[in-house]
Amino acid sequence: MKPKVAFFDFAGCEGDQLQIANLEEEILDLLGQVEVVSFREVMKEHSDDYDIAFIEGSCTRLQDEERLKEIRKNASVVVAIGSCATIGGINSLKNYQNMDDVKKIVYGEKASLFDTYPARPIDAVIPVDAYVHGCPMTKAEFLHVVKSLLLGKKPEIPNYPVCVECKKNENVCAFERGEFCVGPITRAGCDSCCVNEGTKCWGCRGMVDNPNENSQKEVLVKYGLSVDDAIGKFKLYFGWQGKKK
Amino acid sequence: MHVLSKEDFSEFINSLIADNSLNVVGVKSKGEKFAFGPLESANQLRLDYDVTILPPKKYFFPQRETLVTYNVSSGYKSKSLEDVKPTIIVGAHPYDIMALLHMDEIFRETKSDPNYLSRRNSSVIIGVNIQNMSESCFASSMGCATIDYGYDLMLTDLGDKYAIDVGSHKGADLLNKYSKNVKKGLARDIQSVGKKKQEIMNKTHQKFGFSSELIPEMLGKFYEKTSFWEDHSEECLSCGSCVLVCPTCYCFDVIDNPDLSLKTGERERTWDGCLLEDFAKISSGENFRNTKATRYRHRYFKKGKYLFDRFGFVSCVGCGRCSSTCLPDIANPVNLFNDMYDESLKIGIQIDPATIPDIKIKTGNTIDYAPKIATIVKKVPMTANETMFELKLDDGSELGHQPGQFVQVSVFGVGEAPFGVSSSPTKKDTFELCIRKLGNVTSKIHTLNEGDKVGIRGPFGNGFNAELLKGKDLLFVAGGLGIVPLRSLFNYVLDNRNDYGRVILLYGCKEPRELLFGDEILSLEDRDDVEFKSTVDRCPENEVWNSNVGVITTLIPQVDFDPQKTYAVVCGPPIMYKFVIRDLKSHNVPDDHIIVSLERRMKCGVGKCGHCQINQLYVCKDGPVFNYSKIKGIPEAL
Ligand SMILES: Cc1cc2nc3c(=O)[nH]c(=O)nc-3n(C[C@H](O)[C@H](O)[C@H](O)COP(=O)(O)OP(=O)(O)OC[C@H]3O[C@@H](n4cnc5c(N)ncnc54)[C@H](O)[C@@H]3O)c2cc1C
Ligand code: SF4
Ligand code: SF4
Ligand code: SF4
Ligand code: SF4
Ligand code: SF4
Ligand code: FES
Repeated sequence: MKPKVAFFDFAGCEGDQLQIANLEEEILDLLGQVEVVSFREVMKEHSDDYDIAFIEGSCTRLQDEERLKEIRKNASVVVAIGSCATIGGINSLKNYQNMDDVKKIVYGEKASLFDTYPARPIDAVIPVDAYVHGCPMTKAEFLHVVKSLLLGKKPEIPNYPVCVECKKNENVCAFERGEFCVGPITRAGCDSCCVNEGTKCWGCRGMVDNPNENSQKEVLVKYGLSVDDAIGKFKLYFGWQGKKK
Repeated sequence: MHVLSKEDFSEFINSLIADNSLNVVGVKSKGEKFAFGPLESANQLRLDYDVTILPPKKYFFPQRETLVTYNVSSGYKSKSLEDVKPTIIVGAHPYDIMALLHMDEIFRETKSDPNYLSRRNSSVIIGVNIQNMSESCFASSMGCATIDYGYDLMLTDLGDKYAIDVGSHKGADLLNKYSKNVKKGLARDIQSVGKKKQEIMNKTHQKFGFSSELIPEMLGKFYEKTSFWEDHSEECLSCGSCVLVCPTCYCFDVIDNPDLSLKTGERERTWDGCLLEDFAKISSGENFRNTKATRYRHRYFKKGKYLFDRFGFVSCVGCGRCSSTCLPDIANPVNLFNDMYDESLKIGIQIDPATIPDIKIKTGNTIDYAPKIATIVKKVPMTANETMFELKLDDGSELGHQPGQFVQVSVFGVGEAPFGVSSSPTKKDTFELCIRKLGNVTSKIHTLNEGDKVGIRGPFGNGFNAELLKGKDLLFVAGGLGIVPLRSLFNYVLDNRNDYGRVILLYGCKEPRELLFGDEILSLEDRDDVEFKSTVDRCPENEVWNSNVGVITTLIPQVDFDPQKTYAVVCGPPIMYKFVIRDLKSHNVPDDHIIVSLERRMKCGVGKCGHCQINQLYVCKDGPVFNYSKIKGIPEAL
């Protein structure tokens, strides 16, 4: 029997579901192995009978928690896809601001009617079995994770920093180009794609299990960043530092 | 010595490039830096470079490469290397040539790595003497700023021409075939080259404040100086950059990549490094180098001491790549060793130059990374998490193992993991493994059934010396899963019962339901030629247990044995060894009468990937069975 698969979206840009819809030929092959029962991007039907749930976006409201718990109950495997879902992502930028201000900015006059709270990754609410990191996630990694799950294995996601891949790709280090990079504490797995393109790592995959944050800050300062700016480098993607469920 | 005008040299390179049967690579600029890459024209060459980001080792031991391909219906196949084009490397600096010579030894030793060696054998190295030295280079201190061998051709820039030193027949042939207007060098040219080389040797931005011959000895005296290592590694990001850029690092990881069909795929090897946090971590959670300091120290020891003891060279060529790549600037060997030397003067440690060890490098068979196929002929669940698998090789051959040896088991698309063979060698046409469900490979194996196929490599490693133990009393001490490898010896001994003296088995596990080989083991109580005692750490209310409760060491005082006649054979979880050995010693068992079998993270199983290393030893090659007297001085062992 083919595993049944469902896709869900929470607060995010849906860029990750687009990535999947864009898999074109590969997805046809893939669809031979699975049965998609719910996918808002490409189909109207919906079913609650599924084995693998892919969840995109972060949890930004108390109401979302119920929906997530429901999904956890239905699915035997829950996969968080994209930075918003895996680490809180860009959404957690708002965690640095006062929540009331955030509400005002987003909802204007009606702010008090809406309920919003610090953005958090899916695993802050329910246990998550596998992650497809990245903002947006890459097709290659999505396929890697799906293949692994179909083979019955836990997808290997590196616990070493982006520098490892960056060195293998023989890039000129961003610091040597006068840029500031958080690759040394960011979880690899993207094949250092941004640095390969001549830029730097912003940290979209979240930190490794045991990052040496102090040393990273010192490096940023040593290469000329002010202490405040160095701390700022951590804000873009590392806004949620809570516990996993 | 020959000379070639710069124009003719360019033509020489261009005619190499024009030959499609060759893969011509050379130093090109990459942003503000330099890197080896494919040459499209001699104009791209930057022989005035200071250092390349990665060393030319990437052409022989690439960042990623396919080791084997697999097909669920036909098994594993080694990747054919026959169609690999010969690589011509243009512009290697002398230190990088020296580094390749080190790598040659490493990949040749004991078992030779076919992928590395076949690429290496078909390659041609055109070296160039350093024209601009990088700020962090200390090759002169390591004796590698110039080199007199190891290349096929060596260039020296003499202004309007290159002096070319021919180092091999291959080099001479290449020059003959592809170049025009080669002239014999004049005495004057020879002199200029000599002068240039002398200049390079004297030039350095970084140097040791002592003789580099002191390094191995000095390291030896600093191993235990924990605070020295902690202070130096405090800022380590565990980013691995220092080892990934190093021309003499060779550690690797092995990963399976299934295709979308999930039926075919490839097994890939990729660079890995001992500075990365999980390098020595095993799936039960134990990390044998779990601090920045121990990982950082390992790198210096590997280069400065372990490889020196094994091969007679300090495996650093002074290229300075590690220093310039390390963002917190803590990976510079010059700084570290100078600090160490200063510290040794301060605390008054006397350091003598190391004597070059007496080296017997064994070379042997070529490694076959492709597993053979075996069929599961019997699957017997033993506990909730452990299952016994009886396997038969499909080609009809015998495994031919020694008791205590292990095999690498492959599951298509999932990976490979080591397991001790649990059956006695006296059982010939099949062999048994007992596997605990922990991570990916082990969980997947548990879903396989009789008739399903797995891959097998091995047997590997040093087993128990059943001959040496003949006539001796044997005291087996097994904790938990440790019974599995011991059983191969235990059953062998029972099958040859008259050759051995007393046989005592002490076996402990956490709870009664975790007892392995239950019926087989409990039936030992009926034998009068075996003494058997068992214990559990605890017995939950709902289980039955009529024997001892307590840790395994509580069984030792319960048996009376003659320590001089007895050999103790010990295997269990990592934390068990210390306590068992302490108690055996307090019963006066001599060190060389204690034999242990150890477990470490493994990938290659053949002494190359570096994962299973305990200080200078490799568990996969020197072990997993060790005599305690040989490892008691080895700090990472127990
Ligand atoms: C010499 C030796 C004999 C062993 N004998 C047995 C045995 O008889 N029965 C048994 O159940 N287990 C045995 N083990 C342990 C067994 O190898 C690990 O439990 C197994 O590798 C876990 O693999 P995994 O893919 O399920 O785990 P994952 O956590 O998914 O590990 C991924 C990979 O890391 C490596 N790795 C992780 N843990 C270990 C480890 N403990 N040892 C070596 N490599 C590791 C392997 O390459 C493994 O495939 C032995 C280990 C060694 C070194
Ligand atoms: S560019 Fe960034 S990721 Fe790459 S090596 Fe430099 S710090 Fe690491
Ligand atoms: S390089 Fe950094 S920012 Fe870019 S994809 Fe990788 S983790 Fe994300
Ligand atoms: S020593 Fe430097 S380069 Fe090496 S792992 Fe640590 S921080 Fe990275
Ligand atoms: S340890 Fe550093 S200096 Fe020595 S060879 Fe390796 S990268 Fe070069
Ligand atoms: S163990 Fe040695 S070869 Fe392997 S990465 Fe470390 S220093 Fe390099
Ligand atoms: S060196 Fe690779 S497993 Fe021992």
